[in-house]
Amino acid sequence: MTSDALTTTSLYKRTLLAGLWRENPVFRLLLGMCPTLAVTAAVKPALTMGLSVVFVLVCSNIVVSLMRNLLKPHLRILMFTLTIATFVTIADLFLKTFVPKMSETLGPYVPLIIVNCIIICRAEACASKNNVIISIIDALGMGAGFTLALCILAAIREFISTGAVMEIKVLPAWFVPWAVLSMPAGAFITLGLTLGLVNLISKKRA
Amino acid sequence: MDTLNILLMAFISIVLVNNLVLTKFLGICPYLGVSGRIDMAFGMGLAVTFVVTLSGTMTWMIDHWILMPMNLEVTRYVCYILVIAGAVQLVEMYMRKFSPSLYESFGIFLPLITTNCAILGLCLFINLWGIDNLPEAAVLSFGAGIGFTMAICIMAGIRENLNMADVPKCLRGAPITLITAGLLTLAFMGFAGMIK
Amino acid sequence: MSKIKLFIEQSWLLITASFFFGLLIAITNTAWSPRIEQNKTTKVDDLMKDLLPKAEKFEQAAELQIELEKGKEVTSNIYKAVAGGQCLGWAFNCEGPGFADKIELIVAVDERFEKFAGYAVLSSNETPGFGDQIKLSYYRHQFAGAPAGKLELAKTGDAEKINSEIVAISGATVSSNAVVNIINTFVVQVKTQMQEKGLIGDDK
Repeated sequence: MTSDALTTTSLYKRTLLAGLWRENPVFRLLLGMCPTLAVTAAVKPALTMGLSVVFVLVCSNIVVSLMRNLLKPHLRILMFTLTIATFVTIADLFLKTFVPKMSETLGPYVPLIIVNCIIICRAEACASKNNVIISIIDALGMGAGFTLALCILAAIREFISTGAVMEIKVLPAWFVPWAVLSMPAGAFITLGLTLGLVNLISKKRA
Repeated sequence: MDTLNILLMAFISIVLVNNLVLTKFLGICPYLGVSGRIDMAFGMGLAVTFVVTLSGTMTWMIDHWILMPMNLEVTRYVCYILVIAGAVQLVEMYMRKFSPSLYESFGIFLPLITTNCAILGLCLFINLWGIDNLPEAAVLSFGAGIGFTMAICIMAGIRENLNMADVPKCLRGAPITLITAGLLTLAFMGFAGMIK
Repeated sequence: MSKIKLFIEQSWLLITASFFFGLLIAITNTAWSPRIEQNKTTKVDDLMKDLLPKAEKFEQAAELQIELEKGKEVTSNIYKAVAGGQCLGWAFNCEGPGFADKIELIVAVDERFEKFAGYAVLSSNETPGFGDQIKLSYYRHQFAGAPAGKLELAKTGDAEKINSEIVAISGATVSSNAVVNIINTFVVQVKTQMQEKGLIGDDK
């Protein structure tokens, strides 16, 4: 009985931590690249995006997990997209209502969460096979990993392109900002170099 | 003449200036995944062009003729994704029945396309830019597909040559592809400001 | 008959789920849509308030059709800035092509439509660090107080002098020019149309 409880807790813990590093959706699985590149010009939009994804991920994982025994194989993907689209619409309405400025900055990238591969991948790989609790924990872990990755990239790009983090000036005035990093080209290059760094670190660890 | 001019401008702008992959970061997943070989890249590009033309035009029609008159804009995203999923399914069925050889060559990409952000992204951008006539929406949709094909083929060409280069071990694979894409984007930035 | 049964068997989940999701969206939408509408007007109001700080409130006065190049038409909303029952000025929205994308502006003028009170950027997608300097006050202040008519762009000159000559942002001539062009296209047409409607007096 106790050993059973222990294994469940450790399973929960492992699921939660997997998303942060070992199976980090951005750095290790290369999923959800579009928002990773598009909204990481500054930390604030990146954080908003990350939290919206967490919300959608948790909600869709719960729903998919609840109806996992009722799913017909060929209608599966359709059900997933329908669920995700509903929650994305709600998240979009929420942003429009309470943080209109942020919703404008993110623009079409909020509805694009629908086609974010992370969510459909987790619905397919985890929620349609496991019970609700594990699905929620998995969603939280993956979402946190995604948010973390987004924030790291955004911090690097915002710091170099404006000399500020979270819109607070850090570098002195003589610093000439590298505006290119806030442009599309900078997004690709920063992500490429960060991925290289992650590869390097994980190889050293192994 | 004016209409023709506007359509031509729209086409150039979506292919070069506002290229979905390189300036709007849409469709990055297949861009990284399928750009290893040029023939695969071309197949994917064609499949995307086909679906995006169909779904871009159809979502515009649904948006303007059904959702807007009925004030149902709030269900827009759900409708869009259903149209795209339906279009992909339709294309797949049609191809399997009428041209099996074509289906063999790019049928494997079709299921992937449903979650290709380039397609949903284009539908959303058409809505965001406030395109108000059908021809322009159709041209933009077709142009987006061409732009995607062009970007992914250029990338595949570079990557085929990159195989012969001595890339640092930790940068091999996705990282170097992203950095290459970054340089490509810099080149495409030269097109900005072309359209007045 | 059996076909219908099969159909229902396969898709009952889809149908019920769609129903529930639809209901969910409808509820959220009814709960929040008033605030979303409110947010939109607040944003425009805030920008106009920046341009005409003395105004107490803004009333929509007219909706004008403005002709752009190539025969396109756009609607421009005219707002009347009021304080204590008196008209303090006018503000209207305008748009046009920028360097990368469409630029949308709010332009404010004084009550007799003689001088600009300034402009604010509603939305733009100009190059960060270069073109997006059109949002900064060192470029914008040149418009405040300039005569409300055709403006001209100069590459060099004294930016401190307020007249119809606007000095371009160095490195971003196209964006600077876009702003001037948009304002030029709109201000003349808005002025004539407003005179026709009797909202402002004729030049005499």
